[in-house]
Amino acid sequence: MKILIVDDDAIVVQSCIRILELEGIKASSAGSVEMGAKLLSAEGASASFDLILTDVKMPGQDGFEMIRQAREIQPAIPIIMMTGYLTTRTMEKGCCYAADNYIAKPFTPDELIDAVRKTTLRQKGETGK
Amino acid sequence: MPFFLEKMHSIRFKLITSLIAVSLFVFLVSILVGGNMMYRSVIDEANNRIRQDLNVARVIYNDRINAIRLALELTASIPEYPETSSSSDTLPATKVIHQLGRRLKLDFVGMTNARGQIIHQYRQDSANTTGILSKNPLVTSVLNNQQPIAGTVVLNKGQLLFENPSLAGRAEIGPKKKSDSKNAEITAMTIGVAVPIFVDETFKGVLYGGFLLNKDTDIVDKIGETVFKNEIYEGRNVGTATIFYNDLRIATSVKNPLGERALGTLSSPEVSRHVLGEGEKWTNRARVLNDWYITAYEPIIDIFGQRVGMLYVGVLEAPYADIRTHAIMIFTSITLAGVLIAIVLGWLFTGRIMQPVTHLIQASVEISNGNLSPDIGPISRDDIGRLQKKFLIMTAALKEKEKRHKVEDETRLLQSEKQASVGKLAAGVAHEINNPLTAVLTFTHLILRRKDLSDEVRSDLEIVKTQTERVRKIVKSLLDFSRQTVIKTESTEINKLIEDSLGLMKNQALIQDINLSFHGADNLPTLTLDQNQFQSVLINMIINALDATPPGGHIDIQTMQVDVNRERGVEITIADTGSGISPDDMGQIFDPFFTTKEVGEGTGLGLAVTVGIIERHGGTIKVQSQMHKGTTFTLWLPCRGRKGSSDSQTDEESSDIEDINS
Repeated sequence: MKILIVDDDAIVVQSCIRILELEGIKASSAGSVEMGAKLLSAEGASASFDLILTDVKMPGQDGFEMIRQAREIQPAIPIIMMTGYLTTRTMEKGCCYAADNYIAKPFTPDELIDAVRKTTLRQKGETGK
Repeated sequence: MPFFLEKMHSIRFKLITSLIAVSLFVFLVSILVGGNMMYRSVIDEANNRIRQDLNVARVIYNDRINAIRLALELTASIPEYPETSSSSDTLPATKVIHQLGRRLKLDFVGMTNARGQIIHQYRQDSANTTGILSKNPLVTSVLNNQQPIAGTVVLNKGQLLFENPSLAGRAEIGPKKKSDSKNAEITAMTIGVAVPIFVDETFKGVLYGGFLLNKDTDIVDKIGETVFKNEIYEGRNVGTATIFYNDLRIATSVKNPLGERALGTLSSPEVSRHVLGEGEKWTNRARVLNDWYITAYEPIIDIFGQRVGMLYVGVLEAPYADIRTHAIMIFTSITLAGVLIAIVLGWLFTGRIMQPVTHLIQASVEISNGNLSPDIGPISRDDIGRLQKKFLIMTAALKEKEKRHKVEDETRLLQSEKQASVGKLAAGVAHEINNPLTAVLTFTHLILRRKDLSDEVRSDLEIVKTQTERVRKIVKSLLDFSRQTVIKTESTEINKLIEDSLGLMKNQALIQDINLSFHGADNLPTLTLDQNQFQSVLINMIINALDATPPGGHIDIQTMQVDVNRERGVEITIADTGSGISPDDMGQIFDPFFTTKEVGEGTGLGLAVTVGIIERHGGTIKVQSQMHKGTTFTLWLPCRGRKGSSDSQTDEESSDIEDINS
């Protein structure tokens, strides 16, 4: 399993990588949406990323743009949105862009792992049908 | 609405119209009742007068007969005639007869012997009729009765010619209806007298005389002169008199437009039917030639008791009709003046009445435009004045209310601005804090997972972990406060919700030795509200009260139905006997981050969040407090919920987040 982390704040990216490493999950990171999209398409059709963890509020293109581009490259990939300020508007917008789950910052390691597990399980359950 | 129609509905128009209507009504009634009554009494007066005039005319007519009769009787009683009457010497008698004829203006005079043979006749031609048997009906009558006779006599053509051939021409009055056989042959109506001549009680003969009524002007003109004094009205004789032979005018003072006497014309069939047929007097208005007359007719009866003609007098109706016309004109001008006065008065009057009303209307418009101190003009002393005073009271009340609303609005605006700006700040800060906080949380947890930590380090790290969790909570409640939290409403019995909340706090109160009591009013309306949010409001309020109240005190919660601005609702009061809120703090207690609690015991967001929730429900919250006596919070909630169904979708999503966060 490999996860793409998109966040402009390096310390958040680092935190996530460390948590996921402990669970044996590999992760690549991108500091911006452009970088994330490049990583996603550069890996080719092999679809080596199993999940995207993206921040919402970023300078330049935001998390919603990331979701939109990711869906173009890899339509079925599970996406979790990370936000420090979860509002109904963010959720509505996320829903429109078809994010699969949300996680509110700050989170504990257990909460992140839990969200990743739940999302991938849900995704597998749906595709398994 | 067109301008004209609008005018028609104005009070001024209505008032003036009704004044005019009253004037016109009075006018019509005056004309119909007064005018008619007056006219009738005038006509009655005229009818009475004409009847009297007819009597006078009759007297004049009879006077003529009596005058002739007197003269003939006197003549007959002179002793010389009887002797001469039988003798052949007729000269003295002839003289007397000629004198009689001239002096009395008689048309025929004669004398017969006892057998009715003419002794002498006064006539213009030279024919000698001596010895011929008289054909005169007067003579016949005296011969039969030896009694004098006087009156009206009708002579036929033969009789007339016999008496005086020159009379036939005078008697000839062309009847208009040739077919009428009665008038076809020349007949004449005369006034005649015949007296017997007695000598030594012996009947010796008859003295007779008379004159033709046909074309006679004496009688009718004398009537005009005596009765009507030849009065002239607009060039016409006011009074007229006529003598009819049957229904034919044979002597009249009525003149046609050419100034000729209107002889030979006929009376109306109705008149002749009444007067000649029934023998009645007849009084009425009638058309004579071209003018209307008030007329009176009576029959003329001849010496044989036959109705042979009519006597007529009439006065011109025009003077009387003119009285009526004049009266109507006066009435009309009075009415027109009245209408004019009504319009002018109505205009001025309504102007005076309407001026304050117009002012009030303008003032109302100004009020609706927002000017609460409009000019309503001087206060009048009538009913309008009362309206004006009420209006002033109303504007004053409006002003007062506006002022109160303004203060309330300003307070509310200030509060919400404060909340909004604090909310924005909080959101921004929280968002920025969350990233480093994520890292702190992550790495604390990761370090704690290591097995090689000494107990001292571990316990220190535990403190870092707990305090970081605390920071997380503060940030979360900050975000809760700033975030537009959606309310999820359902029908709620407020008393039960309060009892449930109290159940949660009962133990805490017991520990603090505070008496927690609740008095719920019966039959409260059901409220529509978010039960979870509102329970947190209640608990927050009770915790605050418990914190403020020393042991032995009590907290009393009450509910009752209170309607605000005609909207049904429920009031909840939470009264404690705590320390109270100082006047300095009073203005800030609803502000975010304001707290009187020890650092770390409260975030200072509880009441701010509470206010937010209550306002989102369309309710209000007020506080009253007295230092060292206690504080009372008064909450009011409307029956209907504020939010519609559109939020139900986001409600479900918010429950998703709770899943994630747990």
